[in-house]
Amino acid sequence: MSLRLAFRFTYLIVLLFATANASAQMPRERAVAGGPVEELFWAPTVISTASVTNLPRGNANFTIMHSFGPVSGGAGQLWGLDGAANIRFGLDYGITDRFSVGIGRSRLEKVVDFRTKVNLLRQTTDGRMPVEVAVKGDLGITTEENGFEFPDRLSSLVSVMVARRMSDKVSIQVTPMFSHFNAVVAQGGVVPEGNHYAVGLAGRYVISERVAILAEFVPVLGDRTEGTRDNLALGIDLETGGHVFQLFVATSHWLTEQHAIARNTGDFFDSDFRLGFNVNRVFGVAR
Amino acid sequence: MKVPRTTDGRLGGNGYGLAACLLAAVLAAAPGGLMAQAFKTTTGHAEFTSSVPLHTFTGTSERLNGRIDLAVGTVDFYLDLETLDTGIGKRDKDMRKTLDTASFPFAEFVGQLESPIDPASRARQAVRVRGTFTIHGVAREIVVEGSITPGASSLRLEAAWELLLADYDIVPPSLLFVKVDQVQKVALNALLTPETP
Repeated sequence: MSLRLAFRFTYLIVLLFATANASAQMPRERAVAGGPVEELFWAPTVISTASVTNLPRGNANFTIMHSFGPVSGGAGQLWGLDGAANIRFGLDYGITDRFSVGIGRSRLEKVVDFRTKVNLLRQTTDGRMPVEVAVKGDLGITTEENGFEFPDRLSSLVSVMVARRMSDKVSIQVTPMFSHFNAVVAQGGVVPEGNHYAVGLAGRYVISERVAILAEFVPVLGDRTEGTRDNLALGIDLETGGHVFQLFVATSHWLTEQHAIARNTGDFFDSDFRLGFNVNRVFGVAR
Repeated sequence: MKVPRTTDGRLGGNGYGLAACLLAAVLAAAPGGLMAQAFKTTTGHAEFTSSVPLHTFTGTSERLNGRIDLAVGTVDFYLDLETLDTGIGKRDKDMRKTLDTASFPFAEFVGQLESPIDPASRARQAVRVRGTFTIHGVAREIVVEGSITPGASSLRLEAAWELLLADYDIVPPSLLFVKVDQVQKVALNALLTPETP
């Protein structure tokens, strides 16, 4: 072997090594494998009940909920639009990606409510966790002057939301709920129940990237106040980037769940429902 | 040094030994030498700035992965697009939908330095890298200009370029009546440290 050949051979080895290095690409690895399934519902509320969707950390959601009078008022009442509406303004804030707090105020009985939602389990894209589970608590205070002491103005709700995004289009949610009123007043010989148990059944079907249809039914289980009905609502989600608009028809005039469970008297199949809308606007407050 | 040769000028027995020693020395030294010039990061900073009339926002990630091999002049960077944070969760979700990150989770750039870098110098050195940028499943050749600043045992990379969404078949969502700008400003800033085998 000549000296020149030896050097050429060595050079070839070095070149091969360099070429091998040059073509070597890092293996592509996901930052978070099997992350949470997103957008089980587009908004923190299905229609009038809460959804498992929570606010990310540092995000605030301003909500306007609006429920008109009953459509049974006919054309003379412009199908309820002339009637007295219940309106709730609310603001929720994500403390963490799984924990949010909020406050709202409704026109009916001037109820101010404080609420919190915690996502205990997250549905994951790799199927390790098949469902999303969240717990919600809501404390309502009737601030309209009614002669009651403060403790007797309180109402509360505890609910456990179990949801699953079945596919890109379909999400479902089952929500056992318990509502409690510290004081109830007999009216017309009817003594209202202070406690109600209910199960919220909700679903969403995505029609397009921006439109989905919603359904929500909240049957009360066991004892209930005489004359009350199960709340039923149907709606449309319109997603526009920063906003989620929800247009709906619902039997309940109430916009807090404990009241909707315990005090709804509307019967959907007797034209006793009303038009309404929710506007959700998300803001980034802190990063 | 005298090299033993046969009468026809070829290497003798000790000559083969010398060639073997030379090769062994190169093989032993070269990987170490070249590896020492390979730098890597998994925590680089990447950001894009998007302009909407009256509303400009920035998405950032601290999970930029990258590798620069000064020995062969290769540059390889990638970012898991789901790590980008615009500060609003809803907007992040919209962005992920727009980029279809379920199908195309990474943005990546693989290229070649067009001019050598002097790792011994501590000066900020302008660099020009030609390579392929891929996002949303579309790959295009681009030239990126930036700088590399060697440290005692690190490299600081800074680079920026503009990306035209239409070039990568990305259709931005319209926010009510407002359209997202087609031009997105991309910037990278990463501190790379020597790659360990």
